[in-house]
Amino acid sequence: MRIVYVVTYDICDSKRLRQVFTLMRGYGDHLQYSVFRCELTDRERVEMVGKLSAVVKHDEDQVLLFPMGPAEGMRERSVLHVGRPYNPVDHAAIVI
Amino acid sequence: MENSEAFRDVPDCVPSRILCEYAYCPRLAYIEWVQADFADNYQTVEGRFRHRVVDREEGRLPEPDDADGSFHARSVWLSAPGEHLTARIDLIEGEGNAVTVVEYKRGTVPDTPERSWESDRVQLCAQCLVLRANGYSCQSGILYYAGSKTRAPVCFSDELVDLTRRLVLELMDTARQARLPPPLESSKKCEGCSIAGICLPDEVNFLGGAIQDDSEGGEKVRRLAPGRNPALPLYVQHQGAFVGIKGELLQVKSRNEKIGEARMFETSQVALFGNVQISTQALREMCTRSIPVSFFSTGGWFYGLALGLTHKNVELRLAQYEMSRDPVKSLAFASAVVEGKIKNQRTLLMRNHEHLEDHVATRLSQLAKSAGAAERVESLLGIEGSAARVYFSHFAGMLKSGIGSGSREGLDFDFNGRNRRPPLDPVNAMLSYAYSLLAKDLTVATLGVGFDPFLGFFHKPRYGRPALALDLMEEFRPIICDSVVISAVNNGVMSTDDFVRRGPAVSMKESARKKFIQAYERRMDTLITHPVFGYRISYRRILEVQARLLARVLTGELAEYRPFLTR
Repeated sequence: MRIVYVVTYDICDSKRLRQVFTLMRGYGDHLQYSVFRCELTDRERVEMVGKLSAVVKHDEDQVLLFPMGPAEGMRERSVLHVGRPYNPVDHAAIVI
Repeated sequence: MENSEAFRDVPDCVPSRILCEYAYCPRLAYIEWVQADFADNYQTVEGRFRHRVVDREEGRLPEPDDADGSFHARSVWLSAPGEHLTARIDLIEGEGNAVTVVEYKRGTVPDTPERSWESDRVQLCAQCLVLRANGYSCQSGILYYAGSKTRAPVCFSDELVDLTRRLVLELMDTARQARLPPPLESSKKCEGCSIAGICLPDEVNFLGGAIQDDSEGGEKVRRLAPGRNPALPLYVQHQGAFVGIKGELLQVKSRNEKIGEARMFETSQVALFGNVQISTQALREMCTRSIPVSFFSTGGWFYGLALGLTHKNVELRLAQYEMSRDPVKSLAFASAVVEGKIKNQRTLLMRNHEHLEDHVATRLSQLAKSAGAAERVESLLGIEGSAARVYFSHFAGMLKSGIGSGSREGLDFDFNGRNRRPPLDPVNAMLSYAYSLLAKDLTVATLGVGFDPFLGFFHKPRYGRPALALDLMEEFRPIICDSVVISAVNNGVMSTDDFVRRGPAVSMKESARKKFIQAYERRMDTLITHPVFGYRISYRRILEVQARLLARVLTGELAEYRPFLTR
């Protein structure tokens, strides 16, 4: 049910950039500068897009969402790396 | 319910969007308007997002006598008590005192001759009547279907006006009589309805005999709500931890260092154990988002819950109090629940016991049958006690022999009967912990449905006990809790070194509790095929479905409570 999205953004103003970064931290893994990996249902994606819409300046900034396919069964084999590895964590209840 | 009229004040005006829903499905309107219950799905969230531009109040609506020249006004709220209608109108386009009313819809244009849905036309007509009652001349209306970027004109014929007025009176009558309309039967309208998980149309129709299961696996019952909740719980039991919020994250710190975090959008509930702090901002955010926060002692005793002020289904609570005063109905529910528990205990033994003697299974079958036929609560308690003795005396046969003997403290996984307060051995310690977690989940589930978790029909209300949650838990104790404990032992997930003895009491070490909670959560998130409805659903969702089905029994829609039996 959840789809993997790679989200990248280009925000022209530093205050909005911070806001977008803080917002995205709440929705996915921060991979690299302005690049996040998220796992979202349709509804969660719409909510995130709604929140982004309220922050970005629509004629100056850009946020791109690339759907990568269903999250289930994809986590282990989806990412190739050169240098430091990245392993998406399985989705389970968090116990601290 | 006779007392409901005295209790309830039906508002004088029906909002036009509720009328639209009534025309679409009476039950939907009742659940949303009268019971004030609601759930979002992708379509409703997306609809609100697209509608945000429309919702900005803009423009000016001049008085009917002052109107001159053309004007437009967005998001205008008007009422017409004479018509019993109130409406927030998306767009009014005027020319002099003649206005055209426009309503924005998220969907696509339907393939009907009028190019619009009747329920949408009714809504538009309601808005037209409101405008007319306020002195405007309204002859034309437009439905704008955003999905197809198409405008569908609507003619306010006499038939449409009569239909609209008739539906208003019907809805007010239904609300006055506090009558939950029955679900639609196998209707396409249910697919994509955001409250399908609350309404449970196919489940109620199936149990009430309205739809027949004439094929294997109950294909006629559609799974209209997701089989599992994509959001998951956050458990914090690291002593001294502090839970705060940062942006859209819950952050857990210990000695000012971050030791973990959870994204709020995918957090379904928060459970705090022992000496764990939570900031007020975090609590406020949890309340606003309807994410329950439960509180446990370090040992796992569930003692508190923080919940936002969201549930308004007071009608259900009235029905609950009424039933608690009815000894016959209370007993019927209690015996169904005990019968279910005993049957599940028997199934668990038969599935997992290495050499179960026939007479044990037979004895449990007999006890289950007696429970179902019990005529007094005292007999039921006796039957339950006998079944527990039989079941727990054979429990050890479900644990792999030779596992985990000889920890440093001389602890092992031998089981010689159930004991608690305090548990005297590792297996009992795990059972108690698991029962506590399940009680929390059922308290959350019953609150979510609108029940008072403290008023049960079998367990008597007593200080500190969520009696209804304990009632509903009975049939799930063996198949969720006992089963998790047995697997955790047999698969080596838990070892005897995970336990510590203090005096006579045995408890889990902190690191072990983490493993155990994870094992419990994995089970709760597992998808199984529902034995009655045939669709794939997680155990956690099953708790919610059973609670909702009980709600339907209370309101008289279903004849009897059917406990969840595992195959």
